[in-house]
Amino acid sequence: MPIDRRKAAVFGGALALRLLLLLLFPSLPDLLTGRVEVSTPVTSFKRLQEGLFLYNRNVSPYDGGVFHQAPLLLPIFSLLPNAHQYPLPTALLYSLIDLLNANALVTISDSAQAVSGRLYTSIRKQIKWDGAVVAAWFLFNPFTIATCLGRSTAVFTSTGILYALSAAVQGQSLNAMFALGLASYLSIYPALLFIPLVLLCYDRHAQRSPSPPSPVLFVAKHFLVFLSSILALLGISLLIIGDFPTLISATYGFQLLVPDLTPNIGLWWYFFIEIFDSFRDFFLGVFWLHLTAYAGSLSVRLRRQPLFVVTSLLGIFAVFKPYPSIADASLYFAVLPLYRHLFPLMRYTFFSVSALLYASLLGPAFYHLWIYAGSGNANFFYAITLVWSLGLSLILADTIFAALRDEWEQENPDKRGKTVKQV
Amino acid sequence: MVASLRNLRNNPHFLFVRLPYILSFLCIISGVIWLFLLPLDDYSRKTYISENALLPGQVHAYFAGSEQHIFRGYKRELEGLINGNENEGEESVERTPVISEKIQSILKASGLKVATQGYEYTSSGITHQGENIYAIIQAPRGDATEAIVLVAAWETIDGELNLNGVSLALTLARYFKRWSLWSKDIIFVFPPDSKAGTQAWVDAYHDMQPPTVQPLPLKSGALQGGLVIEYPFEHRFENVHIIYDGVNGQLPNLDLFNTAVSIAGGQMGIGTRLQEMWDHDNSYEKRLQTMLRGMVKQGLGYAAGAHSSFMPYHIDAITLQTQGNGWQDEMALGRTVEGLCRSLNNLLEHLHQSFFFYLLMQTHRFVSIGTYLPSAMLIAGNFTIMAIALWLRTGYYKGPGADDSTVTRDGKASESEKEQLLSKDQAQAISKAGDSINGSTVAERQLALPLTLVISLHLLGLIPLYIFNNISHEKYTLATHTSIAINALLPPTLSLLLSRTNVSQQAQLHLIKSLSLLPLGLFLSTLATLNFSLSFMTGLLCSPLSFISCPSTATKPAVRYASAVLGLVLLNILSPPVVLLAGCKYFGVEVTTVLTEAAFGWDVWGMWTQVVVWCVWWPAWVVGGVVLGGGLFS
Repeated sequence: MPIDRRKAAVFGGALALRLLLLLLFPSLPDLLTGRVEVSTPVTSFKRLQEGLFLYNRNVSPYDGGVFHQAPLLLPIFSLLPNAHQYPLPTALLYSLIDLLNANALVTISDSAQAVSGRLYTSIRKQIKWDGAVVAAWFLFNPFTIATCLGRSTAVFTSTGILYALSAAVQGQSLNAMFALGLASYLSIYPALLFIPLVLLCYDRHAQRSPSPPSPVLFVAKHFLVFLSSILALLGISLLIIGDFPTLISATYGFQLLVPDLTPNIGLWWYFFIEIFDSFRDFFLGVFWLHLTAYAGSLSVRLRRQPLFVVTSLLGIFAVFKPYPSIADASLYFAVLPLYRHLFPLMRYTFFSVSALLYASLLGPAFYHLWIYAGSGNANFFYAITLVWSLGLSLILADTIFAALRDEWEQENPDKRGKTVKQV
Repeated sequence: MVASLRNLRNNPHFLFVRLPYILSFLCIISGVIWLFLLPLDDYSRKTYISENALLPGQVHAYFAGSEQHIFRGYKRELEGLINGNENEGEESVERTPVISEKIQSILKASGLKVATQGYEYTSSGITHQGENIYAIIQAPRGDATEAIVLVAAWETIDGELNLNGVSLALTLARYFKRWSLWSKDIIFVFPPDSKAGTQAWVDAYHDMQPPTVQPLPLKSGALQGGLVIEYPFEHRFENVHIIYDGVNGQLPNLDLFNTAVSIAGGQMGIGTRLQEMWDHDNSYEKRLQTMLRGMVKQGLGYAAGAHSSFMPYHIDAITLQTQGNGWQDEMALGRTVEGLCRSLNNLLEHLHQSFFFYLLMQTHRFVSIGTYLPSAMLIAGNFTIMAIALWLRTGYYKGPGADDSTVTRDGKASESEKEQLLSKDQAQAISKAGDSINGSTVAERQLALPLTLVISLHLLGLIPLYIFNNISHEKYTLATHTSIAINALLPPTLSLLLSRTNVSQQAQLHLIKSLSLLPLGLFLSTLATLNFSLSFMTGLLCSPLSFISCPSTATKPAVRYASAVLGLVLLNILSPPVVLLAGCKYFGVEVTTVLTEAAFGWDVWGMWTQVVVWCVWWPAWVVGGVVLGGGLFS
């Protein structure tokens, strides 16, 4: 297999940059691990260390209520030497995971599913970046680097999602379901990607075989595979932990019921601190309903571009998840360059990027004022998380607008170049 | 009038080129005027004490009478040790081990727990080492969860011998020990100097010390407040000078300052001064001068006294420095300290009520952040306005001649144009193809080169940052002059390289300027919330960068070259090292001293003024030079 030299350069450069940062600033990983923007209660490396400590001493890792991550991570990390004394192996593992993710992105980009699928081919399909550029946008994104150095376990979920996508665009629909099963097992929310992903698999399958299979049967079969892969992983976890109810309540229960209101860059924590306890359950339901509602509705509206639905959903998760971090934003920004052909149609790129830049600078500053200097308060930081979410949702709305406009121009060739107004 | 306004609205040259300059200029002007309005009565407020628990001046101070004999005794003992030392060789104010022993034995005799801590810092080739002595009075009514710190450094921040201050602290330690009303522990710290000693102590108190600093063998509870006593002369004093600036422009809670003013002025009848304004008549000029001095100190971000080291740990602290020749004696200062300690002792929780962000213009007048912040924000906003305007200009507006054709383009023409262009070279086609397919008139921008340039300039700033913080202090003059020379050459070189690339230069320069002003505006507005004065000063020094533009190719070459060269010369006057030299000249200090202090601040105090200079101001400045230099090579 010929080695793509540009790809090799990008991958090598990214690996070298990560190791160089580690070498030049040895205290950087610990600093980033402690930042609320990088580590959430469900992805924190510090909490993983705590779980690991208990696990290695044959105590249930969920005792003490600190660790809330999937149990399969424990045996993997107990193979590595202590991250405090020997930071290099852990850093290498995380860098390699980043490279794996980038590799999946290259596969997705090379398949060109983003510009032309079974039901839809964009009229701008010649405007696209090749795999190496898409990988570079991902690998050299400061958010990705911060996540990698901060050793957030969210990267494993990202790997699951990206491999599910890369398997789906290659037509390996069962592998895609396994990968999505792994991602959902690690942090429940990727299960919402099932609908667009199975549509993508179906499209690829129909593209290849002369007679498309029955959709109902296809979906049912894949759902079964998806479910059984999760069950299999849970079964293995049961072997590790033993206590099934504790396992479920400490991991999935924790993610669903959001008991830990440590500040993060999302919108939930402040709201649930303020809410009266009697309304908590109701609003918890409303918030989750809001998050799940997008999966179905976007799949219907953008049926012809299932990969774009996945992309948009990733952006929506980065805004509306209960425990979002910059890892989720970096995953969204990783798949966004696949839609290079939509960029000319976007209208607020500069403003939304400026909003994101402002938020990423002012966020840590206001957090510092609140927590360390004591001269600010929680509202300072929360205001910035609102700006951050605003910036992300602007990009999101803008890309969806651009995708719809792209479809509309393909349907109405005579209307190309005309301005449209929303009424 | 209305018609002319409407005309302006339809004039793209006005909207895209002129208007941003006008808006930016207005922002800067109103930002500066805003600052000058602050000392007026309508904009500043009278200080008041918000924390009711402080009860300043409500207790009688008993520090008097026989305590004075003890003070004299201690002072005589220490004096004897200094003089004994002096006979041997040159005159030195350094604290010898004999004196340290004496201080420890006095504290032990008073019944305090005493401990010592050695430290050593190396910065720009100079080693600072010493040994802190400290002693703790355990609160008879407390549970050792909270403490107040009293610091008396052997040398003041100006390097003078603080014999009276140390003797007073020793007397107070003996005096306080006998009181039963303390509900917080009182810690007496005797560092050998005012720069490194307290930093080492407070770092070690929070277990954050570097390896060259010893940990503390003895600790108490969370520190609630700190007072530093400085009495560096022999005669009686007139006023108490209150120093309140912390490292990186952090300030103590205003309540602490107000309490000190109210106890010294109201209860003890001692005048209070701030910012070295010895005769303050409360006029507009004096208020403005006080405020500006405070801003310069805050903006430079260095430690103004031994108290400054406490600020990063959210411990409010001030220095009380005696000043002038009057009739107040050390007992009056002692009573003031006693009153302040009693007030702090009353606190039920950490000082949080009053302001943390303020500018003082007189001991009884201040402005709070809400009133003064818009001034720096306006200046930072001017860069953002210009960045957005340039961004729009590169996309929507080509120039006075080209706009008609871009606005009225019909679909068919663009269709055929697209077909033609796509067959051409991808790199060239992409901008126009994006434009024509797109339908609206936004041109696709070529971002790779401008982005790379701006990001690498920001990273390049790390090199001078590293060099200036790590070389030996003898080389600072050389380094400054070298950096001036490099600064003069770097921007034209970069412009020359840019002019060799195969793209429209004017648009490139606009994009580079836009992408450089955007982070500048971003950084400065973020900085304004952390250190208002630094943001304001940097913003003001950078303000010409908004108005710099590359002379267009339409002008005559002679005029173009002349204006570019003149612009570059003027710009070089505003480069960071030249401004540093000018500032040193104005204040009459040596460059080496300033840079040594800065490197010391970086190494010991955790000061980051340099980061702002080299990673925010300098890259933006270089880009300004690159834009101007474009006129030489177009």
